[in-house]
Amino acid sequence: MTAAVQDPAAGAAPAPVARGRRSVLRLARLYSASRRIPVALALLAALGLLLWSALNWRWSIAGGPAAQDFISLTVEAGAASVIAVSTHGPFGEVERATGRWLPYLRAGAAVALTAIAFGALAAAATGGSLPGGSLALLRNLAGLAGLGLLGAAALGGAFGWTGPLAYLLVTEVALSGHPTTPWIWAARPPHDLGGALCAAGVLVAGVVAVTVFGTRDSGRRPAPE
Amino acid sequence: MNIELDDLTRRFGKTYAVAGVTMEAGPGVFGLLGPNGAGKTSLLRMMATVLPPTSGRLQLLGRDPGSYGPRREIRRRLGYLPQNLGYYPGFTVVEFVEYFALLKDMPPGQVPRAVARAVEQVGLGDKARAKLRTLSGGMLRRAGIAQAIVNDPELLLLDEPTAGLDPEQRVSFRAMLRGLGEHATVVVSTHLVEDVGAACSQVSLMDAGKIVFHGTPAELVARGEGSGAAGDAPLERGYSAALAAAR
Repeated sequence: MTAAVQDPAAGAAPAPVARGRRSVLRLARLYSASRRIPVALALLAALGLLLWSALNWRWSIAGGPAAQDFISLTVEAGAASVIAVSTHGPFGEVERATGRWLPYLRAGAAVALTAIAFGALAAAATGGSLPGGSLALLRNLAGLAGLGLLGAAALGGAFGWTGPLAYLLVTEVALSGHPTTPWIWAARPPHDLGGALCAAGVLVAGVVAVTVFGTRDSGRRPAPE
Repeated sequence: MNIELDDLTRRFGKTYAVAGVTMEAGPGVFGLLGPNGAGKTSLLRMMATVLPPTSGRLQLLGRDPGSYGPRREIRRRLGYLPQNLGYYPGFTVVEFVEYFALLKDMPPGQVPRAVARAVEQVGLGDKARAKLRTLSGGMLRRAGIAQAIVNDPELLLLDEPTAGLDPEQRVSFRAMLRGLGEHATVVVSTHLVEDVGAACSQVSLMDAGKIVFHGTPAELVARGEGSGAAGDAPLERGYSAALAAAR
């Protein structure tokens, strides 16, 4: 019995460069499937729809700043959780004992999903009255995604949602008062540099942590790539 | 030498999982025996470059895995089957093996043939297009072996590879190991002394993080002769006698 494997070398042989590009795309596709990224994309689309519904049908919660930002922040935290949980892989350390590609795949998936999440939520907010506008959305999502990725690196991909959820709770409590620290970036005006730098820094730290260390699995602390 | 370890240790908290192991191994099938908690898996994980040593010197394929560049080169030429290998149930057998072939940076033109060969070698040719979720435990183990050998590794590390295989599969697997050991260094960590007797040219016995016996399977058998050690087979008696002498 012969394994039913399609051989791209059969028939017209593609040039080595084209074959290399095709194999990188194939690797990215298999990596995406193993991380359930198609499911993540569907969830991000659903969150976009939720945000669009909230803005266009003017869902509102009575109260102060915490209540006004609650829906948009919750959607942003949900998107960040989806990004973070999608770092969870099933293969464990056998995957880490391979060549050079894994860090690139991790970084590419995290950055691409963050960009797609921003695009989906920004499109959903078009024409609506999103608190702080697209700039605040970008800042909040970047920071929350960074927290999610840091949580995934420290606790495991399956627990990536804990960072965004904790931040959402802390921010909602802080918004009830008058926070001044830029680390509560969601409470700052959209053009505030301190808040933007904090959020960007957290995103960079999260992407670097997931790229270099991967996510913790089976209670084992991963070795650096 | 493909493996050179010099006074290698690995500590978890205050416990030494590997407590000063020195060994060398060239091409051949190398058996690692020992009771539960002896340090076999920790030693194998260090050789697989996924667990850094606490102290000591580790050279694999003539390179130091402590540095990024050499580690990357070692990993391209390494095959590793851990004790508990995770699977993505939505992959087919071919996709699973192909994924690891691509991760190991194999030349793209060689991947389809290498995948087909590996899948065939473990006897899963007729299940090549089956989803992993539909396979039995023994078949999943064989798929795991296929991903370990797909890049024709120079260093192959197998942790309990025959767990879940039926006797017929075990016999053919041992034959495959002997074939692989002709040009590669194969390290097999196992509880099953019959695997060592049938497939290994060298054997080390670990206890409490140390190597307490190193030699050929015949030398291990000789340890048990006339010792009165417990065991149903000559190798088991040798195993028991070597352990008793070390404790």
